[in-house]
Amino acid sequence: MFASLNKYRHAYLVGLQSNLVYRWTFAIRGFFSLFHLAVVFILWGAAYAGTPSIGGFAFGQTLTYFVVLLLLQFLIGAFNEDYQISEEIRNGLINQFLLKPVNYFAYRFSIYVAARTVSGLLVLLPLLAALPFLKDYLTFPHEWWRFVLGLPAVAMSALVQFSIAYCFGMMTFWFLEIQGFVILSMAIESVLGGQMFPLDLLPPWVLHIAGFLPFYYQMYFPAAIFTGRLNDPAVIVQQLGIQLIWVIALLAFNQLLWVRGLRRHTAVGG
Amino acid sequence: MMHYLKIWLASVRYSLVRMMMFRFDFFLWSMVELCWMGVNVLMIAVIYRHTNSIAGWSKYEMLLLVGTSMLIQRLLLGFFWSSIFELGRNIRTGGFDFFVAQPGNIMFMATTRKLDPDSLANSVIATAIVIYSAHQLHLNPGLADIALYAFMIMCGLAIHYSLLVLSVSLAFWITSAQGIEGSYFTLAEFSRLPRKAFRGLASALFVWALPVVIVSNTPARVLLHGFEPALAVWLLAITAGWLGLAILVFNRGLRRYSSASS
Repeated sequence: MFASLNKYRHAYLVGLQSNLVYRWTFAIRGFFSLFHLAVVFILWGAAYAGTPSIGGFAFGQTLTYFVVLLLLQFLIGAFNEDYQISEEIRNGLINQFLLKPVNYFAYRFSIYVAARTVSGLLVLLPLLAALPFLKDYLTFPHEWWRFVLGLPAVAMSALVQFSIAYCFGMMTFWFLEIQGFVILSMAIESVLGGQMFPLDLLPPWVLHIAGFLPFYYQMYFPAAIFTGRLNDPAVIVQQLGIQLIWVIALLAFNQLLWVRGLRRHTAVGG
Repeated sequence: MMHYLKIWLASVRYSLVRMMMFRFDFFLWSMVELCWMGVNVLMIAVIYRHTNSIAGWSKYEMLLLVGTSMLIQRLLLGFFWSSIFELGRNIRTGGFDFFVAQPGNIMFMATTRKLDPDSLANSVIATAIVIYSAHQLHLNPGLADIALYAFMIMCGLAIHYSLLVLSVSLAFWITSAQGIEGSYFTLAEFSRLPRKAFRGLASALFVWALPVVIVSNTPARVLLHGFEPALAVWLLAITAGWLGLAILVFNRGLRRYSSASS
């Protein structure tokens, strides 16, 4: 059991090294994300100018939500895993995994965890640089149960994020170019994942429907737990159940795409 | 001048033929851009469910501003994005030799070669958003105001073009700076915000130092409040300044280009 896991530990360590090569790319990306945070601050600051509360939340709470979202994006977001998988399929690099006792999903997931370890740590630098300015606005709830329920939510969000990216990568078996599908999906994910605005600002019936979709569990759900936008532990436990169902469904769908995709795959050359 | 017009028309013809060859791609990318514009409109709708004003701008005034910003961006994506994006890659790989060898202005040849009809199709949608907002605000701009608005959109296009060329020209110095053109999109986010929302350091940086706010706010104000000479002169001056800077930096970078063939 542990021997079979050991190879993925090595994949993680190799992934860690190769991602450290791109540390400046991640650092620059983190720096530019501060500009996005500036847009959020200016836009929402102006929206709050005429009203002390929007959707029942003060300006500090909304800003905290976007800061946590930024941290989560670098900690669990799927950056370009879909392109990497797509390239490996298109260039025939997956052929080597067909001949070895390596599970391709587990291998790619190990690389993803390694990449997020690097980007998750590097985003702390620009956030720490912005902290003197942000600290007066940041406001977190103090209940201990938020960590107990929030951490599994983050772990499952990572699986949802990666599984969706993996699905798009698998589409390369059917389509030569997946970039259009990925960017189209990013638009949907940015709205229904709560990246453009907190989902609780939507009309209640839309929020209710969004709670049954996988995008809700990509970013909004863990961010809402940690920033006090979700406050009923019973509802959170129920939604953890829905998130678990989505994780299982996406993993099963990934396996189906892999098996079906391989039937269409042609390996040429040595 | 006629010579360059003929070259550009040949590029238009080539891009249209290419679009007709890859019809599904055209449809898909049109949908992609339409969805992203929808996301921005939806964000405005959601925020204004909870507030009546953002920096003194009402919902439809804000929609008019966002529509104006999207119109400039769609025109940029339609006329220049693919060529400029490839420019950065070509500098890194040495493919830029192809443009250096052409008998014409290199900056013109390298930045106008490919057009994206899907973005141009979506510029019609962005225009429709502007018209819809103006209708909701009961605005009745005269012909002169509309002509001035169109001229300012062209100024905005020239400024965005300059910013993009400037960021990609960095590849002449930092060959490994992949994805640097993405920084343009980060800066473009500011153009969807009203100028009055910027205060202190943000105002100094994004209103005065960089042209990202003024580029969309000035044309939008022409439709909302009519001709404001001071703003028009400001826009014209920064258009000339940024375009001049882009030409200067591009030509300086050109001197450093040493190809990449083995």
